[in-house]
Amino acid sequence: MSRSMKKGPYVDEVLFNKVARLRDTGANTPVKVWNRACTIVPEFVGQNFDVHNGKTFIRVYVTEDMVGHKLGEFAPTRTFRSHTAREVKK
Amino acid sequence: MPRIAGVDIPSAKRIDVALQYIYGIGAHRAQEILRKAGIDASVRANKLTEDEVSRIAGIIERDYAVEGQLRRQVQQNIARLRDIRCYRGLRHMRGLPVRGQRTRTNARTRKGPRKTVAGKKSVKEMR
Repeated sequence: MSRSMKKGPYVDEVLFNKVARLRDTGANTPVKVWNRACTIVPEFVGQNFDVHNGKTFIRVYVTEDMVGHKLGEFAPTRTFRSHTAREVKK
Repeated sequence: MPRIAGVDIPSAKRIDVALQYIYGIGAHRAQEILRKAGIDASVRANKLTEDEVSRIAGIIERDYAVEGQLRRQVQQNIARLRDIRCYRGLRHMRGLPVRGQRTRTNARTRKGPRKTVAGKKSVKEMR
């Protein structure tokens, strides 16, 4: 079920303030994030984030298109394994 | 045969059913359109007057995205998810279910026909 409109988007306030401070100084240094559930708000556009995937940090550069998604959506937590393509039967 | 929204030529069925042959129009929208046009839903499509057909066509044109336009919209939405490389985009790229369904079994609609893999336990063995 989607989140109630009344509450507004879920944004990690500590992270939001940290980003706001960074923007004031004009810096673009990556911010380490563990809170993958935090929604990307327009203020985050153009910033770099290092999003934790449970093991390492994945560098995410936020573009305008990403607004409304969660930070975690851009840092996959699973390694994708595929089988090698099957040989064509003769 | 009446012709609405480009190529679609709905048949000699009730007009509310015939409209559903258009991509992007289901039972609900068909009723909605007919209400707006003030046309009885039980009339056969081929019994409609020229004027009624053009009224329906006008309403669809104005209020709904259908057929090619709608298909393009859907493709664009998927392309956007791919471009930003988010989780849903990745699932689309890999042809796996997007909305968190299990993939250990089932998910055949997305994955296509079964490809048997040596060494993988069958459902029977798992029990």
